[in-house]
Amino acid sequence: MLDVIAPTAGQVIDLADVPDPVFSAALVGPGAAIDPERSANTQALAPVTGTLVKLHPHAFIIRTSDGAGILTHLGIDTVQLNGDGFQLHAAEGDEVAAGAVIVSWDPATVETGGRSPIVPVIALDASTEALTVRHEPGPIKAGDVLFQWSR
Amino acid sequence: MDKAEQILAALGGTDNIVEIEPCATRLRTEVHNSSLVDEKALKAAGAFGVITSGSVVQVVVGPEADTIATDIEDLM
Repeated sequence: MLDVIAPTAGQVIDLADVPDPVFSAALVGPGAAIDPERSANTQALAPVTGTLVKLHPHAFIIRTSDGAGILTHLGIDTVQLNGDGFQLHAAEGDEVAAGAVIVSWDPATVETGGRSPIVPVIALDASTEALTVRHEPGPIKAGDVLFQWSR
Repeated sequence: MDKAEQILAALGGTDNIVEIEPCATRLRTEVHNSSLVDEKALKAAGAFGVITSGSVVQVVVGPEADTIATDIEDLM
């Protein structure tokens, strides 16, 4: 059982409500999303312990020692910002512990720029049934369990 | 053909590509003519899904997106 923690504080929403057809249809995997608090210098934490196999300013993937991949995506269509407004606190290939700060960013600026700052957290290649305990929609603190991946 | 070649062909070939850019899990492609894009062939090449909106075609390929994009750019 893998605990996947909330990378940031905010409101838990269903993946189906994410304004992006790839995430809402769970094309890359099931998961949950967080509508983050609008505070400047918001931190995005590692949702699991593992290797930071991909690090973009707006998105990162951590792979656990047993091969589970978790994608954290900071906002929708934020690849178009080319890293502007995102500060990295780790490097690709780093071993990171759950809760470690990976990126800091400003969801309010993303929103002002016309993009959704919603943060999908995706269990890559998982089956929907594999996500067992899920945090109910509503407020969540950074570090609280968002969902559990049974594997 | 390898995956990158298959995807490039299914997108209508080099001449049809305006721009290709990897996101975390998808290739964002701008094409000249979206009717030349073969969605079935993209799925046969391993795409989980294809989302077309005007001239922008998003090919969902998973976390290997940046590697595949680099391979495609090498072919162009």
